[in-house]
Amino acid sequence: MTIEAMTGFADQARDSARAFRRMLDAMARPGRILSLEPDFDVPAPLLPAAAAICLTLCDYDTPLWLDASLSEPAILDFLRFQTGAPITADIAPARFLLCTPGSALQALAGAHRGDAEYPDASATLIIQVPSLSAGGRLILEGPGIDGEQDFRTLGLDAAFWDTMQDNHQLFPLGCDVFFASASGISALPRSTHIKREGHA
Amino acid sequence: MTTGYNFAYLNEQTKRMIRRALLKAVAIPGYQVPFASREMPMPYGWGTGGVQVTASILTPEDTLKVIDQGADDTTNAVSIRKFFKRTAEVATTEETAKASIIQTRHRIPEAPLREDQILVFQVPIPEPLRFLEPRETETRKMHALEEYGIMHVKLYEDIARHGHIATSYAYPAKVNGRYVFDPSPIPKFDNPKLDSCAALQLFGAGREKRIYAVPPYTQVKSLDFEDHPFTIQKWDEPCALCGARGTYLDEIILDDRGKRMFVCSDTDHCRKARSGEEAA
Ligand SMILES: [Zn+2]
Repeated sequence: MTIEAMTGFADQARDSARAFRRMLDAMARPGRILSLEPDFDVPAPLLPAAAAICLTLCDYDTPLWLDASLSEPAILDFLRFQTGAPITADIAPARFLLCTPGSALQALAGAHRGDAEYPDASATLIIQVPSLSAGGRLILEGPGIDGEQDFRTLGLDAAFWDTMQDNHQLFPLGCDVFFASASGISALPRSTHIKREGHA
Repeated sequence: MTTGYNFAYLNEQTKRMIRRALLKAVAIPGYQVPFASREMPMPYGWGTGGVQVTASILTPEDTLKVIDQGADDTTNAVSIRKFFKRTAEVATTEETAKASIIQTRHRIPEAPLREDQILVFQVPIPEPLRFLEPRETETRKMHALEEYGIMHVKLYEDIARHGHIATSYAYPAKVNGRYVFDPSPIPKFDNPKLDSCAALQLFGAGREKRIYAVPPYTQVKSLDFEDHPFTIQKWDEPCALCGARGTYLDEIILDDRGKRMFVCSDTDHCRKARSGEEAA
C-alpha cells in the first residue's frame, strides 16, 4: 500500500467525533468495552481501533512512541501522514505510546507521569491486546464505576499489573491507558483501583 | 456540508486539543486542565467554555438540550441551541429525558440523569480558591499540596458572621476525596445531584481556559463542618404551577404591590409535572 492509497476517516470531522465519543465513554467508564471499528484500512500489525485513537488524538503537538514490533515503515508512514505527529525514539518525551503486551511494561515504567502542579501533562498509553474478553479476571473500582467492574485482557503479565497498581498509587500523577483489540477499546485511567484475584 | 462551517464550528486541530484535555480531565476528577480556549462567535459570559466542550464531544447522532437557569427559552439557551443546529445539524430538544447532551448554565435538571447522557456546565470562574488567593501560581500549589485550609477558614467566617454557611451558589465540594472544585454557579441545592451521578459531567471555562470533569459514580462531597453540616435550600410552599415540593423554586414578582409566587426553575420538569407525565 502506498501512502497515497492510505485513507483515514472518510469524513474526518464526523467520524473522528464519533470515535472520540467512544474514547470519552471508555475513559469515563473504566473497564467497559466499547466497539470502535473505523472505516479505513490500516497497515498490519497496527489494529484499526488503535489507529482510530491515534488519528483522533495525535497531531504535531503530541510526540508519539511506537514499540519495535509496530515500528514497521508502513505503519510509521501511515501515522506520520495521517496525524503529523513527530515519532520519537525515546519513551520519556512521548505524549502517546503505542505498544503491545511485550513492550507495555517498559513503556508504562518510563512514560511521563505528569507533575504535582500539572498532572495532566502525563502520557497516554495505547496497548494493542489480542482480546478484551479472555484472560485473568481483574476487578476495578473507582470513579466512573458503579461498585465494581470486571476486566480481562490477554498477554499482560503480573509485572505489568504491579506497575499499573503503582501507577494508581501515584494519583493524581500517573499515566492513563487505552486497550485496543481488533474491534473495541477499553480504558484504565490512573484513578482506577485494580484488584487481582488471588492478590491483595 | 452546505453551512460553510466546519462540523460543530471548531477546526479539527482545536477539537483534538480540547479532546485530549477532556480525557485528562476525566482521568483526574476535579482537577482543572488548562486548554487553549478559542474565540467563539459569542461573547464571554455566554458560555464559550461550555460551547467549546459541547462542540468537541458532539456527534451527528446527538440530541442537544441547552438550559439557562433551568429554562430552555432564554436568549442565551436559544442562541446556543441554534448555533449547534446550524453548525452540527444536530437534533435539539427541550425535554431532559430525550437529550443525550445537556449544556447548562447555573442549574442541574431535576430529573435524575442517565448513563447515556452528558451534562456540560458553562463555568465563569473555575478556581474555587480564586477569591481567597488571586495568584494562579499559588492556587496551583495549594491544589498540588491538597492545602485547602483557607477554604475552610472562609466557610467558618461565614458561620461566625451569619450563624450558618451563607455561601449558597458555587458551593465548593471535594471530588473523589482529592480536589476541591467549583461546581459553577449552580445553587447549592444542586450539589447533591453532582454526587454519584450516572451521567458524565464536564465543565468548561472559556475566559479562564480551564476544563474539568466529574466522571459517573464519583463522590462529590460539599465542604462542611461536623457542627455545621451541609444543607440545601428549602421552601415552605410548593411550586405554584405544578404543586411540586422538593424542586428548586424561583421567585416571580406578579405586581408592583409585592405580590409574588414561587415556581420551578426547571421549566421542562414543571411542564411535565403539570401534564401528569412522569418526569423521566
Ligand atoms: Zn413546578
